Amino acid sequence: MNRRDFLATASAAALLAPLAPRLAHATMAGEITEPVTISFYDYNLASAGLGKEATEKLIAGFMKAHPLIKVDAIAAQSNEILSRVQADLVAGDQPDLAQLVFRDLIYIARDLGAEALEDLAGEELAEHARGMAPKGLDLGKVDGKTYGLAFTFSTPVLFINADLFRAAGLDPENPPRTWDEVRAAGKAIHEKTGKGGFFPGAYGPIDGTFVYQAIAMSNGGMVREGNKLTFADDGAADAVVMLREAMDEGSHARIDPASHMDTFQAGELGMFLFTSAVMSRFEKSTAGKFEMRLAKMPSFGDKPTAPTNSGSALFLLSKDPVKQRAAWELMKYLTSKEAYTIITSEIGYLPLRLDIIDDPKYLKGYVEAHPMLQPNLEQLQNLTPNVAFPGPNYRQVENMMKDAVVEAVFGHGDPRAVLKAAQDQAQPLMPSS
Amino acid sequence: MTNRPRQLPVHAMMIVLSVLALFPVYWMIVTALKPETEIFSTALWPKAPSLENFGYVLEAIPMLRILWNTALMASATAAAQVLTGLLAAYALVRWPFPGVKLAQAVIGLSWLVPFQVTMIPNYVLATELGLRDTIAGLVIPNAAAAFAVIVFYNAMRSFPKEVIEAARMDGAGASRILWQIVAPNMRPALAALTVLAFISAWNEYFWPLLLTRHIENAVVQIGLEMFMSQEGNQWGPMMAAATLASLPILALYLVLHRQIIDSFMRSGLK
Repeated sequence: MNRRDFLATASAAALLAPLAPRLAHATMAGEITEPVTISFYDYNLASAGLGKEATEKLIAGFMKAHPLIKVDAIAAQSNEILSRVQADLVAGDQPDLAQLVFRDLIYIARDLGAEALEDLAGEELAEHARGMAPKGLDLGKVDGKTYGLAFTFSTPVLFINADLFRAAGLDPENPPRTWDEVRAAGKAIHEKTGKGGFFPGAYGPIDGTFVYQAIAMSNGGMVREGNKLTFADDGAADAVVMLREAMDEGSHARIDPASHMDTFQAGELGMFLFTSAVMSRFEKSTAGKFEMRLAKMPSFGDKPTAPTNSGSALFLLSKDPVKQRAAWELMKYLTSKEAYTIITSEIGYLPLRLDIIDDPKYLKGYVEAHPMLQPNLEQLQNLTPNVAFPGPNYRQVENMMKDAVVEAVFGHGDPRAVLKAAQDQAQPLMPSS
Repeated sequence: MTNRPRQLPVHAMMIVLSVLALFPVYWMIVTALKPETEIFSTALWPKAPSLENFGYVLEAIPMLRILWNTALMASATAAAQVLTGLLAAYALVRWPFPGVKLAQAVIGLSWLVPFQVTMIPNYVLATELGLRDTIAGLVIPNAAAAFAVIVFYNAMRSFPKEVIEAARMDGAGASRILWQIVAPNMRPALAALTVLAFISAWNEYFWPLLLTRHIENAVVQIGLEMFMSQEGNQWGPMMAAATLASLPILALYLVLHRQIIDSFMRSGLK
């Protein structure tokens, strides 16, 4: 049994039961007057050398600032964390706060019992949100309310192997800005160096839905409109057709989608579109091997790009008024200026608070020392929320869409027909109203 | 001497198969010795081998504690499975009762129940009993194994009844017959099953994944996962951790390899 089976099983088992029936709404306590312990599921803690140390530092800082609150931090991988939370709910052990990924947003809001922060914190939320990127706050909204407070997130950027660019007679100082330019550069790299041209990390098994959605939405497409699936409709389908044409002409590398990051780090790929969260890791692994550059994600001609978000939000799940207050205090701390200074400089995610970028007290020095952050920060102007799927079958629907995109790009059939067939098959799994 | 030319192809084939079997282990160790910039190099030996990854692993996670947890969990699980399997098989062979065939069938069928079916109910029970994040919680649900009962049942059935009868007539009780007569004669099956149960418990992943909440209480497979993420794998540290995780099993094998091979051959287990 592989991990995916485990997750599917755990999810299915948990989905069968109503996990968190809506309880009568309790009012969050005004303050903490006695010692309280809250549980906090976090996936950065499960990555040694990447997020564990920074997250431990954040939690220690919080507990020092709030001596009455003890945080029981539980580490779980990002693709397993929802199942772990579900298992605890089924076992009657209500988690208080959890870092969960955006793709599960609607399920978490409607079925897992996450609290809407407007209902819980009211004015405190508005006050805390001052200084945050408004588009960043939108990432965690369902039906107009904030269920997830965006926490660690990033957008797709184009990683470039400058050495391969030069070897192919291209100028890495002028990276491709449009998909046409990416294809031309990819073709040149492939023909002159024998290496892969470009590859978007838009396919599984590593979650690449946000990259696929960013490409589709940059071409005016949408994966769904309400409960109607639209990933086979013109804008989204045209984007996939473009990738297929690139594959057929040789500019799109034909590599195992499971090893795209390794292929780029090995110096075998000219361009790689993927989350900026891997930047610090790539910087280390490519040092002394080849020169890496970063560029904004490519556009379709003059159309504006739609960089979507990967990453996570914080969801308050507690039903106990005192624990709700403790969890809310932790949420505020983890999304404070001080916390984002650590999150950006030590993990590599984007800061949700843009006012700290130019502030010498916070990120100014770091941003100046790391110019590669710039394309990512510029893209925040166009940040477009990743579209999660609704209903109990949301994971199946998303998987069917992902599989269809892979088949359309890597296969030999008509890509539009492949997408249409998958869309028709998946539509009955969507909620009817 | 005359057979030597004929044996050459056989030996050549065995050498090739040995290389195929050993190469992944070699590659794991070599990767563990590579600095980060050489991780994706296909050279058979790193230009600048170092123990940096091992040092990093020991610093990043409590690896020694994790190895101790795993050794404790695997030893306790193997011991429990051998004990419960032996007692159950003895009871089934020694005191046949109406429905014994049905009991055997049910035990056999329970072997076929997938982990996914029992995972959530076991987790709920472990939570209620306060066993989450404990070694006991990892061991207890696996303390009895249908496979052990079946192996011991078949081994005991072939044990001569006359010997048991003679012991009984000499006044030996059921317990004395089991521990002083039957068990010593089942050493191959006992050894083989102990080794199998230990290795299986050592490699256990899903149940510890669900039950463990803090890294200091984790077992080795969860420790390895700390170097993997959606943002990429840290191959050097992961291979260093995998090497450290393999050492106890390798040491066990090196010390006991003759007995282990003997046990498998004599008990008919593969």
